Amino acid sequence: MLLEVVDLSKTFGGIAAVSHASFGVAERSITALIGPNGAGKTTMFNLLTGLIRADSGMIRFAGRSIERLRTDLVARAGLVRVFQSPRILTRMTVRENMMLAAKDQPGERFGMAWMAPARVARREAEIRAQAENLLGLLRLSHLAEAFAGTLSGGQRKLLELGRTLMVEPRMILLDEPMAGVAPVLAEQLLEHVKMLRAQRGITVCIIEHDLDLIMSVSDHVVVMDEGTVIASGSPAEVQADGRVIEAYIGRLDAAVVADAS
Amino acid sequence: MAGLDLGFFLFAAITACIFAIMALGLYVQFSLAGLPNFGHVAFMAVASYAMAILVVRLSLPLPLAMLCGLLVAVALALLLGIPCLRLRADYLAIATVAAGEMVRYLAMNLPDLTGGPLGSMAMLGPDQVAFYNLGWQAMLDRVAAGIAHVTGTPVSRDAAAALIVFVVMLLLLVFFARLEHSPWGRVLKAIREDDVAAASVGKHVVAYKMQALILGAIIGGLSGMLLALQIGVFSPDDYAPTLTFYAYLILILGGMNRIWAIPLGAILFSLLYTGTRFLSFFPLSLFDSGSRAFLRLFLIGLMLVLFMALRPQGVLGDRRQLLLEK
Repeated sequence: MLLEVVDLSKTFGGIAAVSHASFGVAERSITALIGPNGAGKTTMFNLLTGLIRADSGMIRFAGRSIERLRTDLVARAGLVRVFQSPRILTRMTVRENMMLAAKDQPGERFGMAWMAPARVARREAEIRAQAENLLGLLRLSHLAEAFAGTLSGGQRKLLELGRTLMVEPRMILLDEPMAGVAPVLAEQLLEHVKMLRAQRGITVCIIEHDLDLIMSVSDHVVVMDEGTVIASGSPAEVQADGRVIEAYIGRLDAAVVADAS
Repeated sequence: MAGLDLGFFLFAAITACIFAIMALGLYVQFSLAGLPNFGHVAFMAVASYAMAILVVRLSLPLPLAMLCGLLVAVALALLLGIPCLRLRADYLAIATVAAGEMVRYLAMNLPDLTGGPLGSMAMLGPDQVAFYNLGWQAMLDRVAAGIAHVTGTPVSRDAAAALIVFVVMLLLLVFFARLEHSPWGRVLKAIREDDVAAASVGKHVVAYKMQALILGAIIGGLSGMLLALQIGVFSPDDYAPTLTFYAYLILILGGMNRIWAIPLGAILFSLLYTGTRFLSFFPLSLFDSGSRAFLRLFLIGLMLVLFMALRPQGVLGDRRQLLLEK
């Protein structure tokens, strides 16, 4: 397992957002994290990336405990996330957004642009080529000089995905990447995700509400409800699981009954 | 117009250069890293007081005293940054306002150390006048003599001072303009735009914010000391909160987020600030000169409001970029 979550819990003022959740993500898999609204999926991503601290439990990534690491160190360890609503840097250009995320630029240390200009420029040229390459792949090359704030919603999602790849991650976390994206672009995003695994060996964990889509793309599904993991397995196994149907459909029935009365 | 002599322009030029350095300190913190510092004056004041006290009481040579002044400014930056930088930006804003006022009140109320409300000249008590800028004046004389030797024309002390502060300003601007366009500057700008996004791609946000805060404190402290050296005598009121807003005004006038707009903003500002004499036309000539001096402050405020409303990007800024939502 590349990522292992063991007995992870987080409460916010008495409400258990995540409670004793355990699951694993195999290397080079596409693992889906599904569950009804409020199940704790996004909180789980926040815990994994160190944006919030768990109350108890363990997170192991590539054999290393990361539950106490700062967000930037988690990213450097190779676990990078894409946000639900893209957090691109609107007042920087698309290219700057990409180049920012690159690793090992000595020029990011204060004063290095003066002390070792040649080294900084050499690495900068590499990073720039890498960014151009990815922008080409994402079909954003023509927008490289534009401020990221001028991009459409779908283009922003592509840019954020591209920026994530600049970090050269081992695993990416995608939080509802298809939400609010036109079907054509969603298709393109999905193709990119599949290609990332195939060509770069990147492991993917994806939160998504479109169950048909999830079942077709993922090879492992983890189902969360009320902060805990209630089922996990192959798409077929999960679809047949009574608890999952209960969590999705049962609640719906109850709501229908409540509405009718 | 009367009084448009070289002396006035030298005075305005020195003021403009010192104010430009002051604004550059704020630029590094606010425009580059997005740190809202509303107490920039605190760094200026602590550095100046440390320098003056060390010269007056311990007879330290001026360069050493200035170095200590800078270290005190750094210490203040650490004191503010360590608790506040992990929190939301608003907390730093409040802490810096408080720091600016605390420094001033401490200076007012520790007369044995600071000279109290009377200021630097009372640092040795009421019986003797204390000077801290003799070393500065001696240096200006040497520089003036040097220039006279090379050019063959005698130059004043003020001309030497103008040259020195201009060179210091230019060096600092060049240094930071280069850094701004380096990968280091890119990380700071990313943190300004969205620090969670910057952390999520592996940048140590707090460390960068701390660097920006400390660098701004050093530059601010330097400008405070130059101001003190230039005015010769200072009191707590010379480091009033308005000074911080002058720095913001310079950034706004020239053009937000443009480093080379700082000198332009500083020139515009210092002409307005030092140039009460320009306000002698009708109908302002109906007021006596004392009232016109206050009117000047009113005009500065009015200009700030007008710029924010009509031209938020300043003279040289990029409106398109500024109007994009974060």
